[in-house]
Amino acid sequence: MAVLEANQVKKQYQMGEVTVSALDDVSLVVNKGEFVAIMGPSGSGKSTLLHLLGGLDGTSDGEITLAGQPLSQLNDNQITVVRRRKVGFIFQFYNLLPTLTAEENVGLPLLIDGQALDKHRERLERLLALVGLSDRAHHKPDQLSGGQQQRVAIARAFVNEPEIVLADEPTGNLDSKSGTAILELLRKTCDELGATIVMVTHDPRAASFADRVVFLKDGKIVRELKNGSTGHSVQPIMDVMAGLEL
Amino acid sequence: MEQSLTDPNALPAARASSARRSRALYIWGKLPQLTPLILALRNMRARLWRTLLTCLGIILGVAVILAISITNDSTLKSIRNVFDEASGRASLIVEASSPSSEGIRESVAARVRSFDGVVVAAPSVRATTLLAAESENWQIVFTMNGQAAGNTLQVLGVDPAIDRDARDYEIIAGRWLKDGAYEAIVTDEYAAEKELELGDDLIIILPGGGVERLPIVGLIKRDGAGLLNDGDIAFVSITVVQDLFERGGSIDDVSIVTTPEIANNTNELTKLKEGLAERLGEEYTVSYPASRGQLVTQMLSTYQQGLQFFSVVALFVGAFLIYNAFSMTVLERTREIGMLRALGSTRAQIASMVLTEAAALAVIGSALGVAFGVVLARGLIWMLGAVVSTSVDIIEVPLSGLITAVGIGTAVTVGSALMPALQAARTSPLEALRVQARPASRLRHISWISGLVLMAAAWISIYRINWPPEISFNIGSLSILILLFGATLTVPLVVGAADRIARPVAIAIFGNEGMLGAGNVSRSTGRTSLTVASLMIGLAMVIANNSLATAFITDITAWVETAIGGDLYVRAPLPMRENFERQLLGVPGVGGVTKIRYFSVKVAKSEIPPNVAEQDTVIFAAIDPDTYRAVGEFEFATNQGDADANWARFRRGDALFISNVVADRYNLEQGDTLRLVTRRGEHDFYVAALAVDFTGQGMIVSGSWNDMQRWFGEHNVDRYTISLAPGYTTEEVAAEIESRYQDTRSISVETTDEFKKQILDLSEQSFRLFDVLGLIGVVVAALGVINTLMMNVLERQREIGALRSLGLTRWQTTKMVLAEAATLGAIGGVFGLAFGYVMSKIFVLALNTISGYDLEYIFAPEAFAVSVFIALGVSQFAALYPAWKAAGVNIVEAIKHE
Ligand SMILES: Nc1ncnc2c1ncn2[C@@H]1O[C@H](COP(=O)(O)OP(=O)(O)OP(=O)(O)O)[C@@H](O)[C@H]1O
Ligand SMILES: [Mg+2]
Repeated sequence: MAVLEANQVKKQYQMGEVTVSALDDVSLVVNKGEFVAIMGPSGSGKSTLLHLLGGLDGTSDGEITLAGQPLSQLNDNQITVVRRRKVGFIFQFYNLLPTLTAEENVGLPLLIDGQALDKHRERLERLLALVGLSDRAHHKPDQLSGGQQQRVAIARAFVNEPEIVLADEPTGNLDSKSGTAILELLRKTCDELGATIVMVTHDPRAASFADRVVFLKDGKIVRELKNGSTGHSVQPIMDVMAGLEL
Repeated sequence: MEQSLTDPNALPAARASSARRSRALYIWGKLPQLTPLILALRNMRARLWRTLLTCLGIILGVAVILAISITNDSTLKSIRNVFDEASGRASLIVEASSPSSEGIRESVAARVRSFDGVVVAAPSVRATTLLAAESENWQIVFTMNGQAAGNTLQVLGVDPAIDRDARDYEIIAGRWLKDGAYEAIVTDEYAAEKELELGDDLIIILPGGGVERLPIVGLIKRDGAGLLNDGDIAFVSITVVQDLFERGGSIDDVSIVTTPEIANNTNELTKLKEGLAERLGEEYTVSYPASRGQLVTQMLSTYQQGLQFFSVVALFVGAFLIYNAFSMTVLERTREIGMLRALGSTRAQIASMVLTEAAALAVIGSALGVAFGVVLARGLIWMLGAVVSTSVDIIEVPLSGLITAVGIGTAVTVGSALMPALQAARTSPLEALRVQARPASRLRHISWISGLVLMAAAWISIYRINWPPEISFNIGSLSILILLFGATLTVPLVVGAADRIARPVAIAIFGNEGMLGAGNVSRSTGRTSLTVASLMIGLAMVIANNSLATAFITDITAWVETAIGGDLYVRAPLPMRENFERQLLGVPGVGGVTKIRYFSVKVAKSEIPPNVAEQDTVIFAAIDPDTYRAVGEFEFATNQGDADANWARFRRGDALFISNVVADRYNLEQGDTLRLVTRRGEHDFYVAALAVDFTGQGMIVSGSWNDMQRWFGEHNVDRYTISLAPGYTTEEVAAEIESRYQDTRSISVETTDEFKKQILDLSEQSFRLFDVLGLIGVVVAALGVINTLMMNVLERQREIGALRSLGLTRWQTTKMVLAEAATLGAIGGVFGLAFGYVMSKIFVLALNTISGYDLEYIFAPEAFAVSVFIALGVSQFAALYPAWKAAGVNIVEAIKHE
């Protein structure tokens, strides 16, 4: 079942008199429980695509359907609510609120939704346990390491049981050990919780954790690779990338 | 870029812009010293809105200081100018030591003329009258100096043969006066206003009740001598005035023109002045023309000091704004500065970059501040004009005021930027590599402790130390500023706690977004503290001014109610005769009548405390103890013993009731004596009691009618106060008196209620000017709130973007910022109220000390309520733009990594 569908999506930026085409006729279907990685050289449109998929920005042409809702037919507020309830985001720079504790940061989407955290204590504890931070629940972000902060961000992305989680270079800012931990965590959420994840990365090793890798170049999807259900095979991904970056 | 270069349309523009840039770069290339300036200017442009806000703060600060300086200067100048211009080329004036309606002997002029160095000695005699056509609708205007003005005409008798050598007349039509002729010269403006022309008769009323027709033979410009009595003046030959106004062989003063050598040499002039004084004896006073506005300027001085203090406070608040803006710029650019440091900028270069920005802002802000200050001054002068009833037509920007305003503005700006500059200089190159700038909390424990110490010091200085009078005002002002500054330092102490208290409230009002917003307040304690502090000061000023007004008005109302007894006032432009009292008593409905006469008296030099003033004048109110208490009462100060005993002593003569103000100025108590200059030399008067009396700003003493006749040779009446017999209404008695006597005596009857209302209106008006200044303080504080919130929003772009991506709607984002503002407003409000209360007490104390009043602090709940409203309203209003900005944050841009 398709959770997310992009249909001939275009995105153009107007730079004075010049039009920059960031995405050109991109079509993509993400099914429930799938872990998709998006790869491509710098400037190929990966982040742009992710922003469009999450409704952070509007398409120039084409349609994106998120959890059965065509985004172009919703206004800003409706999209915001879809995002709040159906989408989880993970950023490269964590983007935690420094005034809130780890637990409160995880509960932030609930707070925004006008819910009292007390009603969700159990879920928060479960999520913190999942990301291995039960003992850091009451720490503020500046008392956490980068990897820990990213794990809080991941827990936050899952707190509203989203239809889909979108991650832009979630390991881009971490050392390889913390990075691996994060990727394993994402993998685990897919396998055990049935989460759906779209992750932008330019690290082949990160991409190898996904079920499927989509390659972008100059705003177009140029290749797709499926990973075997057991295989974290990095080599084929590296080969494709090497071809694209020529 | 490449594409744009191949686009033929883009080429010329690109060339032009690159040409422009290269010229700037060319100069910069030659003058590397320009680097800080160029970096500063670019930063100012990049953060335009903050540059504008900061600039606005400087503009308001400089404008207020300059405007107050212009206002004070122009008002004083205008007052002095009248006396100056009217005396023309005269460098000295001889008049009676004790002003009286009898004047001085004519022969004095001749004695003065014989003096070495005297070129002209021009006598003059003054009389006040009315145009016969206007005697029916004569108006009384109560003014700050307690004297009546209105549509009266002053007649100045001058010696036609010599007066043009002493005073300046610019005749624009007709001719000059002929000696002894029954004719007059008036100003062209007066003639136009009264629809009189050359050759028409000036028909004036005379003391006996008759009228006199004086043909107008000349018109002069309202300039020089024409400025007297605000231009409502007629010049007539001196012998004619003496005849018409029954002045026998007496004159009022002699204007002396000396040889240029003496006039232009201060020492020589002083020598001549002293020589003349010695030769003429005690009966006469020799003074400089400008000193004659002295009673009025003396009364204005407290008021003007108050204005000056307020202008300093406005700048003080402005300094917070500037400091805050600069520390934000520095904080915000931590990475950029770190990068500059990494590239090899020295600490000094970084500091000078920030200070250059401050200097550039100071120049722009001061220039605009001067322009705005002049505009503001017009408004203030207009407001003050209504209070002092002297038309202020000199609006002159005093150079010293200009220099002070610009100097202080620049110094405060650069001074406020100094700390942030040093902070910037300390930035480590490593900051450039850090992902997120650490939120810096600069104010530590040490600061709130020193805050408490400063407050304690200020308190001691205000309440415990008796400073010498000549510095007490300045020390007092400084102490208040220190108190406010100390309070500012203690704000961080409360911010944490207040945040905790404010959170539930914010959640209740704004929902969960409210909690997020309220929480932001405690994130940068330093910034919050300064914002809260400026709100606090603005509010405290509003409250204190309001409380002072309440205390003053309550007191003056109490005084008005007791002291202004009776039901009707009878007044006339010309002094009335004593025997009119009997006639008034004969009018049906009149129960009691008492007479009163006001004139000014000099205080003996020996009474004046050193360094306070060179000469002092007080108003002498002569009352008749036999009839006074039938219509009114004196409001004695506290602890003055039995009222009947005081009156008994007063009736025995050589005694005075003096006002608190006079008592304070000459350090007197009941039972002491006050030495006044009388017609028969200096004489000691026994202080029978201290009384509350606001007439003439309290510079008043009351003596008995007999003492007046004996020591000052006066016998005319300025005002009759009438109390009604039972069963009559004020209207019918007033109508009866007017119908009987208005035609023959040109009197005017008004009810005491009207009179009381005039006094109270005037008092309230006096405080309005301070309200304006207090509000300017609040406006500057509002700018601070905008600045802080704007900064918070900008600094948290990424965070707001993340929240939006997590599903925070625009409206929720708006509410979050509004909640933050409300929390700021609430903390500022609480502080403002607390300090408003403290400040109110200090203001009342200060006014009592400066002026000698005996006011009591009265809790004025409206002032506090209004302030709560201002605090919350202003902060919400100031938050609108930042909130709108926050709601409009572009999510993608915000979360993008650099
Ligand atoms: N706001 C914008 N205005 C103009 N062009 C833009 C804007 N945002 C992105 N682009 C352009 O769109 C293209 C795709 O950008 P995008 O950020 O999606 O790349 P990316 O694949 O995420 O690259 P990276 O791996 O470096 O993050 C680039 O050519 C970029 O210059
Ligand atoms: Mg990207």
